[in-house]
Amino acid sequence: MPLRRALVAVSALLAIALIAAGPTIAVTGQLLAYQDGFVFFTTGDGFRVATGVAIRDASGNAPTTIVPAPRIWARAHFDATGTVTQLDLSRTPLPQEGSFGDVAKFAVALSSPIPNPDLMPPSPEPGHTLVPTQHFSGRPVLVTFTVQVPPNTAFSASIYMTTDTSGWNAQAIPMDRIDALHYQITRRFNSGTIFRYLYDRGSFQSQEIAENGLQRTPRQIVVTDADVRVIRDTVYAWLDSRSNANGQQPNGLPTPYNPAPFPNLPSGFPTPGIPGPHKTAAPSHLQ
Amino acid sequence: MRRLSLCAVLVPLTFAIACACARANTIVRLSADHIQFYYDSFLIEADGNVRVSTSDGFTASGDAFSMDLKLNRFLVAGHVVMQGGGQRVGGAALSDFLDFNRLYFVPVTTAPDRWTFLNGDLAHPIKGRVMPGDTFAFPTVPKNPSITASEVVIGTKNYARFTGAWAYVGGLGLPLGSYVVNFSSNQYFAQNSLTGANFDATWNFAGNNNSLSALHLRYDTFNHTYLAFEQHFVGDHEYAIFSANPLTKPDRFFNLTAYEKIGQRFQIQTFTQLNINQGILFPAPPYSVTQTTYVNMTQAFPHSYLQLTSNFTNYNMLGPGSVNPTSHNPVGAGNLSHPSQIQLTATSFQNRIGKLPLYEQIYGGYGFNHDSVGANQYYFPIPPSESGLQSFGGNCVYKKGEQPVPCPTTYTTIWNEVAGFSLFTPAVKIGNRDNPYETYYLNAALSKQRQWNSLPHHIDQTITTFSLSRQFARPLNSYLSYQIQNTADRYLQGGYQPCSSVILVNGKSESNPLCPSGLTSFLGASTLRTLSLGTNYAPNPEFNASLVARQHTDFPRPYQNVFPLPLNNVLGQPLYNNYLGQPPYDLTGDVRFRILPHMLLDVQRTYYFNYGPIQWSPNFIVQVLPN
Repeated sequence: MPLRRALVAVSALLAIALIAAGPTIAVTGQLLAYQDGFVFFTTGDGFRVATGVAIRDASGNAPTTIVPAPRIWARAHFDATGTVTQLDLSRTPLPQEGSFGDVAKFAVALSSPIPNPDLMPPSPEPGHTLVPTQHFSGRPVLVTFTVQVPPNTAFSASIYMTTDTSGWNAQAIPMDRIDALHYQITRRFNSGTIFRYLYDRGSFQSQEIAENGLQRTPRQIVVTDADVRVIRDTVYAWLDSRSNANGQQPNGLPTPYNPAPFPNLPSGFPTPGIPGPHKTAAPSHLQ
Repeated sequence: MRRLSLCAVLVPLTFAIACACARANTIVRLSADHIQFYYDSFLIEADGNVRVSTSDGFTASGDAFSMDLKLNRFLVAGHVVMQGGGQRVGGAALSDFLDFNRLYFVPVTTAPDRWTFLNGDLAHPIKGRVMPGDTFAFPTVPKNPSITASEVVIGTKNYARFTGAWAYVGGLGLPLGSYVVNFSSNQYFAQNSLTGANFDATWNFAGNNNSLSALHLRYDTFNHTYLAFEQHFVGDHEYAIFSANPLTKPDRFFNLTAYEKIGQRFQIQTFTQLNINQGILFPAPPYSVTQTTYVNMTQAFPHSYLQLTSNFTNYNMLGPGSVNPTSHNPVGAGNLSHPSQIQLTATSFQNRIGKLPLYEQIYGGYGFNHDSVGANQYYFPIPPSESGLQSFGGNCVYKKGEQPVPCPTTYTTIWNEVAGFSLFTPAVKIGNRDNPYETYYLNAALSKQRQWNSLPHHIDQTITTFSLSRQFARPLNSYLSYQIQNTADRYLQGGYQPCSSVILVNGKSESNPLCPSGLTSFLGASTLRTLSLGTNYAPNPEFNASLVARQHTDFPRPYQNVFPLPLNNVLGQPLYNNYLGQPPYDLTGDVRFRILPHMLLDVQRTYYFNYGPIQWSPNFIVQVLPN
């Protein structure tokens, strides 16, 4: 019996020694905090740090002046008990090594995990299926905007987009005419971008209005993952396109009413009148 | 009328200012050793002695801070101390998902843990609850910040107001003191009362959820370099915007635009402008003061809308005695006239005709213009020899039994009725419809309008446009367009008289230089025909080049130095879209390219062919575009 106990003890010691001498696990990630004897990664997991933890430079395994702190990238070496024995630090991202899934069992937490109802997929209504949610990778997406303008838009008009990302500057994004009724522009946005915009003719006095004549709310798109997206819009009318009404200009007095439709007839051209021996002088508003 | 226009200005203004205090989102106040803002990604990052307090009722300190303004959540990490709900807890990190009312916290007591606070209840954490995977992730930030600061107040979803701010453009730092980045989705921040400019650098030095104060450094071809000021008050359904522009030039415009939406179908909008020519220094007596007010109302209906537009102007607010030139004011302040105008217009929606690829829209209106003095009296205090809006016809009999002599009637008020329609086909595909690069698109539009005037004449205008376009490759498209614009001004009696090609000079007949042979047959009807060929090349979003060649075949024919050139706006662009005397051939090139990560430069120039000394357009049109 004593022999058996001695064998078990030796086996246990041997196993412990083997585990202790076994290969360490290393993972790379970004530090969230380093305090109170723990190192925290941006996964939110906190790991116990060995008392004499080695702090080294990730590039050459040499001593470093970098201090473990939020935003620093690190390679953490875990021993078999889940304690971090070495941290290799870098100010730039490190190549991915290991997986936090493999070391999650070493994360220290006083409370046991309980499920989060916020993260559970919603249950579909009876008879309905759930539409998969859109995925945003953040990669650049070419978005082409094509807008149809009102048919009475002057052929020489300049059309712009004004956006919330450019502080609603009226001339932020100039567009290019592609035919008698359409303008187009292509821009690059990261997927996931939420983008609000309106069309105008270079000023807020010439902004588009809604089909019912009222000021319209900005259009909005959410840039989803795709190589190219095409957005087609229609402008129904411009704010300053009221028939036969003076247009307001921020820095200009109203144009004197001109009952003649030819604003730049030559000086001295006879004014409209009844034919007769005497002609009236041409008023300057016809000149 | 003056009282009416004053009320029209004040009612929406009062609404706007009253509502400017109504909305509230969470306010986050942050101070740190280093705060950086990245315009590209709307990120605020801070490091060193981070202190955060929120209007939700907690404060936190830590080593680092990160906030994504668009996702509306922030993170504090490293030696975090959180105070709130009567507790003070230390931890490694906290993350506040403001839109979801979830505060995630990693406390360190005897050991780390995970707590979640729900709906602002900081006294009762839910311990151990699983957190979203990216709760504590730091975002990837661009290399260079746009703004650095020592403190910032963040009105979530609306603005960030930096203190001790430096702005960086092309690597160069500019001290701004206070600077506000407005990223509100409220489109009323889009409204402004400034005119366009070739260049505009905006310093938003104050602001909150409902207001924004900005100083603008601007350049345009008329005023050159100057400063301007603008103040926004913005609510959910209203706004009031005031501006002074240009502040540093003698001729200043003070503008106030106000808007109120009442219910879902009615809106009122006003614009008032005070123009003061006073020299550079304000204390100098003004040379002239002019006011104009517009009041516009719109009532929407299910398939149409009704608009009432009006304008009232005082050309001289200095009063009697200011009309005539003096040594102080050699020009004179202008006539005491105050013309007015009202127009009521009904417009239908665009309607498709049956199942045809054809759409129509109709409109009609009624209104008047009133002016007792006349257009040529506005700036020159000369006796009103030609008064009113128009003089026409009429005979006077001065002596019984003698022939009447021509004695035109002066019309000071002219009523008008307008009716018009548009007919258009947006895009008819021709050719290989399966291949987008071999498909041609045909567009056609016809707009026709007739205006009857109480002085009996009517003006007809018809604009017909055809275009054929094709996209040859993804970056290359081209179009060929032909437009005919007919304008005719027809009087019930009489009307336009031909000009005389011969004049008497010292008893000798000489040709009239202002009436060349092509103009002698002009009797109030013009036809402008324009053939355009346009090509646009945009290989990537950072570069764009376009070329438009046009041929004008007009009646009356253009003659050099006979038809005056159209006036240009402050950007150097013609004020009229179509006008008599256009040079017969022109070629316009436009190049746009990126000069900074968020800035484009646009350069445009026009060349006129075969039109005497006029070759290049008056100016390059250069615009710096914040993109």
